[in-house]
Amino acid sequence: MFKLNLKIALRNLWRNLGITAINIGGLAIALAAFILVAMYFTFETSFDQTNPNYENIYVVGRIEPDFKTNYTSPPLAKVIKQNFPEVENAGITKINRSWELAIKNGKKAIFTKNILQADYNAAKILDINPIGGLIKPSGDVERLTYLNVENIKTLFPDKKDNKPEMVSYGSASSGITGTIAGAIINNEHSNFSFDGVSIGNEIGKGETYGYNNYNTFIQVKPGTDVANLQEKITNLYRAELLKGETDLKTINEIKGVSIFLDPLANQHLKPKAGNDTPYKILISLSVLGFLILVIACINFTNLSIAQATKRAKEVGIKKVMGAYRLQLTTQFLTEIFIQCLVATVMAMVFAESALPYFNNLFQVNLTLWHADNNLFWQLPLVLCLITIIAGIYPALVLSGFKPALVLKGNFSTSKQSSWLRNGLLVFQFSIAVIFIIGLFIINSQLKYMRSEDLGFTANQVVYVKNISYFNDPAKFKTIREKLLKIPGVKSATVATDVPDGSGNGANGYTFEGQQKSLDFVDVDFDYFETLNIKLKDGRFFSPKFSTDTANAAVINESAVAKYGMKNPIGKTIRGCETDYKIVGIAKDFKAQGFESTILPTIYTIKNPCGNAKTQIMLKIEESKMADALAALKAKWSQINPKDGEDFRYEFLDDLYGKLFKKQEQLQSAFFAAALLTIFIAILGLFAFAKYITNGRIKEIAVRKILGASDIQIFKLINSSFFMMVLAANVISWPVAYILTKKWLETFAYRIDLPVLPFISSALITILLTVLTVSIQAKKAVKANPVDALKYE
Amino acid sequence: MIELKNIEKYYSSKGIKHYVLRHVTTTIKQGEFVSIMGPSGAGKSTLLNILGMLEEPTYGTYEFMEEDVTRLNERKRIELYRNHIGFVFQAYHLIDEMTVYENIEAPLLYKKVGGAERASRIADLLDRFNMVAKKDLFPNQLSGGQQQLVGIARALAAQPSIILADEPTGNLQSAQAEEIMQLFQKLNKEDGITIIQVTHSEKNAQYGSRILNIADGVVKDDITLTAV
Repeated sequence: MFKLNLKIALRNLWRNLGITAINIGGLAIALAAFILVAMYFTFETSFDQTNPNYENIYVVGRIEPDFKTNYTSPPLAKVIKQNFPEVENAGITKINRSWELAIKNGKKAIFTKNILQADYNAAKILDINPIGGLIKPSGDVERLTYLNVENIKTLFPDKKDNKPEMVSYGSASSGITGTIAGAIINNEHSNFSFDGVSIGNEIGKGETYGYNNYNTFIQVKPGTDVANLQEKITNLYRAELLKGETDLKTINEIKGVSIFLDPLANQHLKPKAGNDTPYKILISLSVLGFLILVIACINFTNLSIAQATKRAKEVGIKKVMGAYRLQLTTQFLTEIFIQCLVATVMAMVFAESALPYFNNLFQVNLTLWHADNNLFWQLPLVLCLITIIAGIYPALVLSGFKPALVLKGNFSTSKQSSWLRNGLLVFQFSIAVIFIIGLFIINSQLKYMRSEDLGFTANQVVYVKNISYFNDPAKFKTIREKLLKIPGVKSATVATDVPDGSGNGANGYTFEGQQKSLDFVDVDFDYFETLNIKLKDGRFFSPKFSTDTANAAVINESAVAKYGMKNPIGKTIRGCETDYKIVGIAKDFKAQGFESTILPTIYTIKNPCGNAKTQIMLKIEESKMADALAALKAKWSQINPKDGEDFRYEFLDDLYGKLFKKQEQLQSAFFAAALLTIFIAILGLFAFAKYITNGRIKEIAVRKILGASDIQIFKLINSSFFMMVLAANVISWPVAYILTKKWLETFAYRIDLPVLPFISSALITILLTVLTVSIQAKKAVKANPVDALKYE
Repeated sequence: MIELKNIEKYYSSKGIKHYVLRHVTTTIKQGEFVSIMGPSGAGKSTLLNILGMLEEPTYGTYEFMEEDVTRLNERKRIELYRNHIGFVFQAYHLIDEMTVYENIEAPLLYKKVGGAERASRIADLLDRFNMVAKKDLFPNQLSGGQQQLVGIARALAAQPSIILADEPTGNLQSAQAEEIMQLFQKLNKEDGITIIQVTHSEKNAQYGSRILNIADGVVKDDITLTAV
């Protein structure tokens, strides 16, 4: 029985080879997209899952009145472990990404950007295992430093064993040396990805609750009531802060501080302290993948409906020959299963060939063929699912036809099923329209982001990586002089932060009795000039005013607005035990990109509470760029001897451009999705229009004999499809409007929702539909009516 | 074999009943060859459909082999199709994707007849209908008469006790039609298969043993023919 059904199925498919190919091909493409998305989804949601205690690890973070942060102080972990028996282990880590450290073995050098410092407990919690196992450092001072396998290979190419090695740090002349204890395999699929780790018994020793530069991790016993623990830790933390505190105001402030526990599982996609854009993008990507698959499945169903008249006869005959309904259901499902199976195999091939592009776009390294790939159970599941989605109509409706009706000879299913068929078609096109509109709007927003005035010029600004401190302007003065001697260098400055979207430090500042939190950036002379930031009022820093290096401050427009200042020039703002005189107001500029609003910021040259000024920025004339960079490279060790002989730089506009990366990924994903859905929907329409016109050949012939012109017949055939596409547009416009509006709302600086994408999507879909249907109709229209009417 | 009691069939539309069959009461015995005749729209096909349980009567009872089958569930009905009833259609209704051989084989597969038995039965039928050479052809490669032969062979494959034929020669030329009718007669006489056919043709009706004349849903005449 099965063999016969199989044979019939194959013959059936073979007879409609073109349409079968379209169907299977469309499904294969959709499945390939789905496979990629599923793999990406698995990858993104399984960060750190290799950690044996994955479920029980929490990040301890602080909630301050106006922000949340994962940065905590060293003593917190200790008191948590002492006080709560349900906490199995607690540890801290620290990472410094602000500057690169050169590690050298003779001429061979590597530049490490993130060396993870961890205490022994944190290393145990986070499953940090150097090759040869995690060793407990002895005493308080010893630090065991391990470098990535790749880094070890670069420094010691011939090394075979895992013995410690001596290296030097920083410039060759610095004379600082150290020991590398061994190698460690860096897990890229982890939130804790590093160039190397440095493990101590205890880190941050002696630092108090004020030093919030560490991340605290706890591992709780399975089954712990985390909400309760969170409350207990909050109380403990407040009690610790209150110790010895007498100032009433401070006591009240402390009462506003609390602790949150964030599961390790949340860290990669939706950390409580941070944004969840990656999570949203992942979800929308998954929805895209799923919708594409559904659209391809609809093609199957639609074709089944179109073929129903023919298949209905088969159902009728088989029933009077003694076939149970269940047997017919099985037969139809088998047929569709075979097609889906073929599509799945093709999809694997497509996915494999698209993988390099996908990996490149999302900067991941996914592979199809590895043993623990979740696809090996996901794919059969999806195969069954699509078989059911695609086969539900023939399996349930077709198999239920009454033989008496279908065998009478003039049976037609078109009437009863047209609403379903048309509905599905409208659904497909609605999705396609939403994607097209989405794509257009993402494009316009990105175009806006690329062309909009940022308020500063990143172009021709070179960001030089440097490890020596220039907090004292006098120290940088000599460097600046040397730099300016190089032809092409127009200005040079140093600051704590570059405008590349990374966060600045924040502190409380008091202006006319109001205390508010402001971002601070510590700068040097020529900071505003190098970045070409516009002045609104007053003046920028200048060496002419000797007080500028002591207590002058420039604030931005947002800061003025935050305090509601009136004529602030010359007035005093107090922060970090210093009275600053406001000398100028800078126009707002988008240092943080387009997603967050411009933060109220204060710029000062001297800031006792500030960070290290290490970020050198140079403005270089475009035409002399190459020469200037070559000269800098050659003379770097003379210009800035403390940094060493290695001149490392990046263009600021490239750095700033990275802020758009996620959105560009979304754009590419949308582009692919829009293209795929419209392609698959058109494929379906193509096959479908063929069936419809075939079914109407007789009608067309009769009409032609009655005197209809070709144009009139084209109109006739197109009109129903035209209406459906129009309906699809009308349905999807509000949906697209809401979705794109929501997306745009994630940007602080965004375009107004344009009308054009809506009209364009309508035009595109209508044009494509008319084209597709007309190609199919042409055959019927051109045919000689006599041939069509000869039968019966 | 078949007992119809007061069978009625009507369709209601807007409260008005449109009768297709009224007060049909008759008995058909094992081994009879009945022709149902009448003008277009008289209700012949409806009666045959009711006999074949493809339609249910609105009123009345129908007993098939001493069993009330007036309202039967699908599973039981199909059981009857498998074991007792063979259908022959005016439009042949062969499955286009199957060869002659496979078309004849299909009912046997549903009946779960063993492989060897199946092969021998089909070989027998092909031989009997002189279609051995055509067994691997598809229906659209055959003439109408040949297709109808396959249709009958298919109906016979399951060894039914009754064949229901709805204008079996309606689409055929007279020579082919005669051949089919002779075959029916032979099956009826030699194998004792009960045959009920719907026909327009007086000539075809003469092959049978009994004629039911229907007009406007009512049985007008019930004529028993004497053997020619």
